[in-house]
Amino acid sequence: MTPLRRRRFTALVLTISTALLAGACGSDEPAGTPAADGTTKVKIGVIPIVDVAPVYLGLKQGFFAAEGLDITLETAQGGAAIVPGVVSGQYQFGFSNTTSLLLATSKGLPLKAVASGVASTGQPGKDFGGVIVPTGSAIKTAADLAGKRIAVNTLKNINTTTINKVVRDAGGDPSTIRYVELAFPDIAAALAKGDVDAGQVVEPFLTIATGQGNRQVVSNYAGTDPDLTVAMYFTSKQYLADNPKVVSGFAAAMTKSMEYAGAHPDEARATLTTYTKIDPAVQQSLVLPRWPATVDRDSVQLLADLAVQDKLITQQPDLGALLP
Amino acid sequence: MTTAPVLTGPALDRPVRARIPTGERWRRPALGLLGLALLVGVVEALPRLGIVDSRFLPPFSAMARSLAGQLVLADFWTAFAQTVRGWALGLAVAMIAGIVVGVVLGSVPLLRALTASTIEFLRPIPSVALIPLVVLIYGSRPPSALVLVVYAAFWQVLVQVLYGVADVDPVVRDTARSYRFSRRAVIRTVLWPTAMPYVVTGFRLAASVALILQVTAELIIGVPGLGRSIGVAQSSGAVPETYALVIVVGLLGVAVNASARAVERRALRWHTSVRRDL
Repeated sequence: MTPLRRRRFTALVLTISTALLAGACGSDEPAGTPAADGTTKVKIGVIPIVDVAPVYLGLKQGFFAAEGLDITLETAQGGAAIVPGVVSGQYQFGFSNTTSLLLATSKGLPLKAVASGVASTGQPGKDFGGVIVPTGSAIKTAADLAGKRIAVNTLKNINTTTINKVVRDAGGDPSTIRYVELAFPDIAAALAKGDVDAGQVVEPFLTIATGQGNRQVVSNYAGTDPDLTVAMYFTSKQYLADNPKVVSGFAAAMTKSMEYAGAHPDEARATLTTYTKIDPAVQQSLVLPRWPATVDRDSVQLLADLAVQDKLITQQPDLGALLP
Repeated sequence: MTTAPVLTGPALDRPVRARIPTGERWRRPALGLLGLALLVGVVEALPRLGIVDSRFLPPFSAMARSLAGQLVLADFWTAFAQTVRGWALGLAVAMIAGIVVGVVLGSVPLLRALTASTIEFLRPIPSVALIPLVVLIYGSRPPSALVLVVYAAFWQVLVQVLYGVADVDPVVRDTARSYRFSRRAVIRTVLWPTAMPYVVTGFRLAASVALILQVTAELIIGVPGLGRSIGVAQSSGAVPETYALVIVVGLLGVAVNASARAVERRALRWHTSVRRDL
């Protein structure tokens, strides 16, 4: 390089590195607090699954904008990332299953549920989650599941406590069940290979699997409680204390979204194409969950009792502190 | 640095382009393509013959159809751009940081001795082990991936630069000192030309590692990009789409490697390992 070219090169390197450093450090606009024009930028941590369709629908209908909320949906791959994200303030709100929220509360995490998320349809055999076996399996009823290997997506969580509950109710001994942790997409394959005897799946895997040589044995959510609140939207106590108006606005918009989704199931089904890659045929036939406007307190109490009974936690979490 | 040993060095093992007969020149790429075609044939045949379950490994034609469907979607290209942007940014930050830190540490023996054990402690920490940490700080936004990419790629560059700086011929360095070269002049005329091949090797290693970590971060954390699209397809039970996106990421990896080699050839065109006219 000649001196001139060298100097140009140095200048280029300096410019690029300055730009990169500026990009890496700055430009982090504060989220969660109201801006001058009255709108508040809010981030919600969600999982890209059927359950969160009402949020997408509510955004489209403008329910959140009407409350002065400028929503950004951030999809995490699993619920495990969402609770820490809300506690650390990365997300102002998050979506998580009820048992996870109960476990987090009993560990002292300052969480507050603000809206109902998703609930069982209450119809055994026509719910959005259930335990499946290969068609030829000898397992016919929930009681037959005792002593078997069952695949669940998370050990010691809502799916194990609700399966334990339906097996217990049917007269089986749930302590003899051996649970195996497998991701939902892998459960049908493990069943086909015979690695597990049964597996708990939710939509769309329930529809896909039953269409491919599997049979549903029991609906573990509907069997536990017809009104089971399976998941909720939540925030941190800190955020609630600092921004009570934003939280009440979010809860109002969320309630409207849930009511709208419940009243317009076809629209809810249609939004699935906007954020999932579910096959069109499956999308048409899958069972939608129920999207009630309020949290069913008794079912949350039941999930807390089951968590204590199955020794996920040692003492009852403070439901009054968690629930809205 | 004499040129004499080079004549017997590994450079001569490489065939000189002008001397290759035309038939030979096309043989290697042709064999490579044939291998690829065989692989495609096997992936097509296995599910069709029922050797593997086509529910879980669809035939290649199904993947290709799904891929063709993806290529016309704006979402796909957005995700593609997000992955490439994240990779390039992370690689650039790691390169600059690695070179600057490497040259400073390498040319001050006291600093090198002070940091040697720390570097050996930090370097083997797998970047993915930092996932819980970055999720707490940045959630599923691009900075999460950036931290992982920079962390993984930085050590590749730094270690190469340190070796490169250590490789400086003492006679050349002492000569430069005898002639009272300034510190800057020593870096420019002695250190940099020696370290350059190492830096480029570091670049090539870092380019691949950066892509791996970028896609990992997207897949596991949910940072926007091709990795997250794979995750969404997977959690939608869309098997052919999942494989189609995996193929895209694989092709991206091939492109990254090929362009890193092209950069290597261009940056080291004066170096005996690349020159073919000797």
